[in-house]
Amino acid sequence: MRPAQAAPPRPGFRPQQQPPAFGQQPPMPQQSISRPGTPGQLSGPPTPQQGFRPPMNGTQPPPQNFGSRPPPLSGGMSRPGFPQDPNQMQNAMRRPSAGGNSMPPSPSMQRPPMPNGAIGSPSMAHQQPHLQQNGSPLQRPPSVGGMQRAPSPMMRPSTLSQPGSPGMPRPFQSPQIQTRPPPGQFMGQGQQPHPGSPAMRPMGHNGPPNGAMPGYGQSQSQPPTPKMPHQQQQQQFPPQNQVPPPQQLQQPPTQFQDPVVANLGSVNSAPVPTPHGGAHKPKRMYPQGAGSYQDPASSGSFQPAVLPGNTSLQGSTQPQQLNQGSQFFVPGENQGSGMVQPVPAYQQGLQPLAGQPLQPNMAQLSNQLGAMNVGSGPGYGFSGQGTSQSTVALMGVAPKILDLEAPPPTINLPTGSSITESPYANCDPSYKRSTLNAIPNTSQLLQKSRLPFGLVITPYRSVKEGDAPVPVVTDSIIARCRRCRTYINPYVKFVEGGRRWKCNMCYTLNQVPSSFDYDPETQQPVDRWQRKELNHAVVEYIAPTEYMVRPPQPLVYLFLIDVSYPAVQCGMVATAATTILESLDRIPNDEGRTKIGIITIDSSIHFYKLSSAAAEPQMFVVSDLDEPFLPQPQDLLCNLKECRPTLEALLNRMSDMFKDTQIIGNALGPALQAAYKMVAPIGGKVLCLQASLPNLGSGALKMREDPKLLGTSKESTLLQAASSFYKTMAVDCSKSQVCVDMFLFGSQYSDVATLSCLPRYTGGSTFFYPAFTAAKSEDALKFAHELAEFLSQRIALEALMRIRASKGVRMSAFYGNFFVRSTDLLALPNVPRDQSYSIEVSYEENLNIPVVCFQTGLLHTSASGERRIRVLTLALPVTSSLSELYASADQVAIATLLANKAVERGRSAKLDDARDALTNKMVDILGVYKTHMTASSSGATPNLQISDNLKLLPLLTLGMLKHVALRGGSQIPSDLRSYAMYLFSTLPSQCLISYINPKFYSLHNMPGNCGTIGENGIEMPVSMNLSSERLERGGLFMLEDSQNIFLWVSKDAVPQLCMDLFGVPNYESIRGGKTTLPALETDFNQRVNLIVGKTREMRRTPYYPQLYVIKEDGDPALRLWFLSHLIEDRADPIMSYHQYLGHLKDKVNSGSF
Amino acid sequence: MSAEAMVFLFGVIVGAGLLFVKVFFVILISDLEVDYINPIELCNKLNQFVIPEMFVQAFMTFIFLISGQWIATLWNLPLVAYNVNKVMNEKHMFDPTEIFRTLGQHKKECFIKLGFYLLSFFYYLYRMILALVSDS
Repeated sequence: MRPAQAAPPRPGFRPQQQPPAFGQQPPMPQQSISRPGTPGQLSGPPTPQQGFRPPMNGTQPPPQNFGSRPPPLSGGMSRPGFPQDPNQMQNAMRRPSAGGNSMPPSPSMQRPPMPNGAIGSPSMAHQQPHLQQNGSPLQRPPSVGGMQRAPSPMMRPSTLSQPGSPGMPRPFQSPQIQTRPPPGQFMGQGQQPHPGSPAMRPMGHNGPPNGAMPGYGQSQSQPPTPKMPHQQQQQQFPPQNQVPPPQQLQQPPTQFQDPVVANLGSVNSAPVPTPHGGAHKPKRMYPQGAGSYQDPASSGSFQPAVLPGNTSLQGSTQPQQLNQGSQFFVPGENQGSGMVQPVPAYQQGLQPLAGQPLQPNMAQLSNQLGAMNVGSGPGYGFSGQGTSQSTVALMGVAPKILDLEAPPPTINLPTGSSITESPYANCDPSYKRSTLNAIPNTSQLLQKSRLPFGLVITPYRSVKEGDAPVPVVTDSIIARCRRCRTYINPYVKFVEGGRRWKCNMCYTLNQVPSSFDYDPETQQPVDRWQRKELNHAVVEYIAPTEYMVRPPQPLVYLFLIDVSYPAVQCGMVATAATTILESLDRIPNDEGRTKIGIITIDSSIHFYKLSSAAAEPQMFVVSDLDEPFLPQPQDLLCNLKECRPTLEALLNRMSDMFKDTQIIGNALGPALQAAYKMVAPIGGKVLCLQASLPNLGSGALKMREDPKLLGTSKESTLLQAASSFYKTMAVDCSKSQVCVDMFLFGSQYSDVATLSCLPRYTGGSTFFYPAFTAAKSEDALKFAHELAEFLSQRIALEALMRIRASKGVRMSAFYGNFFVRSTDLLALPNVPRDQSYSIEVSYEENLNIPVVCFQTGLLHTSASGERRIRVLTLALPVTSSLSELYASADQVAIATLLANKAVERGRSAKLDDARDALTNKMVDILGVYKTHMTASSSGATPNLQISDNLKLLPLLTLGMLKHVALRGGSQIPSDLRSYAMYLFSTLPSQCLISYINPKFYSLHNMPGNCGTIGENGIEMPVSMNLSSERLERGGLFMLEDSQNIFLWVSKDAVPQLCMDLFGVPNYESIRGGKTTLPALETDFNQRVNLIVGKTREMRRTPYYPQLYVIKEDGDPALRLWFLSHLIEDRADPIMSYHQYLGHLKDKVNSGSF
Repeated sequence: MSAEAMVFLFGVIVGAGLLFVKVFFVILISDLEVDYINPIELCNKLNQFVIPEMFVQAFMTFIFLISGQWIATLWNLPLVAYNVNKVMNEKHMFDPTEIFRTLGQHKKECFIKLGFYLLSFFYYLYRMILALVSDS
């Protein structure tokens, strides 16, 4: 089958769909990302990056060759080898050969062919495939083909002799990958190089990198640092080679305007390294930097050289720091964030931390601080107070919830970790954050600390106004490590005068693409230090054809609308039709390729022919539910532009068409099968709007909610899928790049647990509207808003995500909506905006490196039809000290990870287990902290202590225990619980924290500027502790958990307030429940409306929180619901916050750690 | 050939078959770990053997039971019970969506079963030879 695949000269639209076997022919273009990322898996199919350089790795192309090749010609020449490749590759790829990955390919075998391939001699090209499957000819020549034209032939020899250069492409290893058509297919087989396409010119990559440098007029080989124009700039601010803490810097303009936080934001930005603003000055420091990372084996050739420009700085600091990496993290430095915040009263009386060793040597510290420019702020005197500040007592004080908004602990990377000093060189926490911002050097240390270690990733988060857009590398020069496939990033080291770079994950030496220094188009030298991938931790590449197995798919939206009696009755059909109609313009359709289709379902399946030819939409009814078929081969999915009139006609009539229906059957299962048949050839999105329980055909579900089970250990069976149909369906969909989203409207039981399986494994989303009725305008508005928002999202399609990490750590468990396709590869047919994924990390071996990097590659097709790779790189220092570990733990990320684990546990085992696991984790953490970090290491302590940055973790844990998702008791319907669990595992931290620990404002006495438009947009009041003590008589309070907004009106509310806010004369006339605030002319009403409006859009999420007015003596159910959010209160059977702390303390005192 | 020898001959043949199936399982599971195979394919391949394997093993136990081979029956019964329990709870199939989470478990089970079948095999062989010898 592979040859067959390889054969078509130009793969048609998804040719690989034909062989249905998933494994054989993964439909996805995963060649790039799916490359085995673990160091153990050395091999991969040829990839473009390799293509840039491989020829040079091991080979010594005779210099004359360089000159002799006319570029366009050679492009053609290397290709003749292709047709043979597939077969040979295949053989080579068979499992036996895969075994070969364990042994390094013999250089003798591999090297010889390379030059030929590279050189493009046709005869040689034929042999090549035998020798190395990854053969360079396959490798797509650099897209910037001409670039290496500037061939300086001489450079090769030095490179070659590099002893450590394991240079060769490795044999294929993974069948998954093996079976992929070699990238060459695209280019090579096509044999129709677009003459103009630079990608086709194979020559390019031969260009010696230094050949590209002449522009600098520097002899590169000798001084490792070529002089670059920026030299002067560096000198201006030498100290800055310490990477400034990106969290703080990048903290987006605070969205929550309560004064404290706003203030925080501004102070935080103060330490931004430089007066030079955001424009970071590129600097070359590779020689030194490289030094710090060399492992002895491969660093032999490296000779430290003196940087002309900043000798003074680097010379002095660097050497010390090389060995010091692990000590680098200083607990006190935390204060960067800690200090800015108003110091809570209760922190003043902290006990100094006995166990906390003061960091090694003051001189160095101040050195670093100086280097960071952080210490310059007033009050930052480095007097060791940092240590004492970092422990706080928990009991007896109210949790300081404002700190939830605080940025995570600073990442204190050793100086010079990043080759550029860009403030964006480390990942913004909104994209990716780690539970530990300093990583233990051994797994024993991690175990000892009992802290969970994982990553929280939101790779495709939306970019709101004021956020920096993700920089895009447009020239398709994608430099990747040829061994572990890591993308070049700010933490690699340039060695050998910048001709090679050393991968920061596996320490392999790789050639630097010459186009890093020389732009072949303009024939100008370019400054590599300006390259976005060396300056930004979050970057997007435009992927060349090697990253596709088929042309980027268009967006496809197929609506499956339930039109049975319950759906029509609750008004869902009409609302949905109107919303879709109104959103047609907002659906991304940049290239005019977007397709759309509609299926309606009751006891039969109705298809609509939307072709532009017919003025009227034609309806086909298929009532064979056993073998659902498509009534028409085409035209059921129609181009949005072309079929617009028909589509509009259909949507306009839809609510009338079914308004008298009496059918209560719903055949979702068969309809999904039909929809799958329709969409599978292209891939796309299937949106199910479902208002009744599917009860016909395959996938029929029963009402299985049993109140007797709720609250017992059997409850988790209700949280598991009732039918395996949906799981199987989901797996099929994932294979074909089909994503299913569920909009569930339940007047009764709707089995969210089962139906949300489809989104869970296909990267989709679930929306749940309990007791939906469109007659209530609030319900309709919420649904319409969320659907419209969802349709207009610029989603990513046919995506693959892989997370790579430095040698020694690996990803061990994944939580979120995706299908795990291999040990570290996640398949996401769609990536919705702002969905978060949690990943647990475990150790393979001890770390003896100063910095660990985590790199997430998200290969996707953007909504505009471009194949892109989004790369997120997070670098974290390694530490050997428990105190640093604790001082750098990020409570928000920990809470997110724990929430995911608890949900997983609750689903698969018992909810009790999940709750116990949470509490036990808390006890462990507090116990270890007590034993190892505080003076009272043994015996009972009167108080619980924890480092300042973790002080809210007990509160968040308690919040989870009290949350609908995990709370005990028999009151929570399994639908609501399933949905809350779904939200736990998909909400980004930003929302999840509010979801667990809602925000609580007092509105009646808010300061005058709240609710007005200030410098940072609308000013928000200061949020308060979640305790009913705060509910004053006569007051008006607002509580929001990112899904709902509650306005609590005290029964003693003065008429003036009622008048001002609700426009009614007195408290009695206020209507409770779901409502919309009237827009009045009064100042107070406008301010509250602004605050509510701001709450609805301040987070990155498609959800539209609904407003409830809760009257103190109103509907008891509503009232209880509101009160259940006040998590610091006692709510039987769960303890209040202080009781919970007491409980934790007892356990800590009785346990041993 | 006595009935006992026949029964154990049957046991040897079936035991060898089960042994092969388990080896196949172990190989595929370790393939998944090193990424030679994707989870969907793995589950499709393995799931078709799950029920037959359980059935054959139960059938063999039944044969032992009716032929009065008490030791062999008792030796096999726990596994039959375990299998039945798994089927009742619908946990016997390999689920591609959960496979990576449960891989360790599956692997352990496979190895234990492998050991079990191996011991069984040699026991049946021994009994068969014993029976044949006593026949002659």
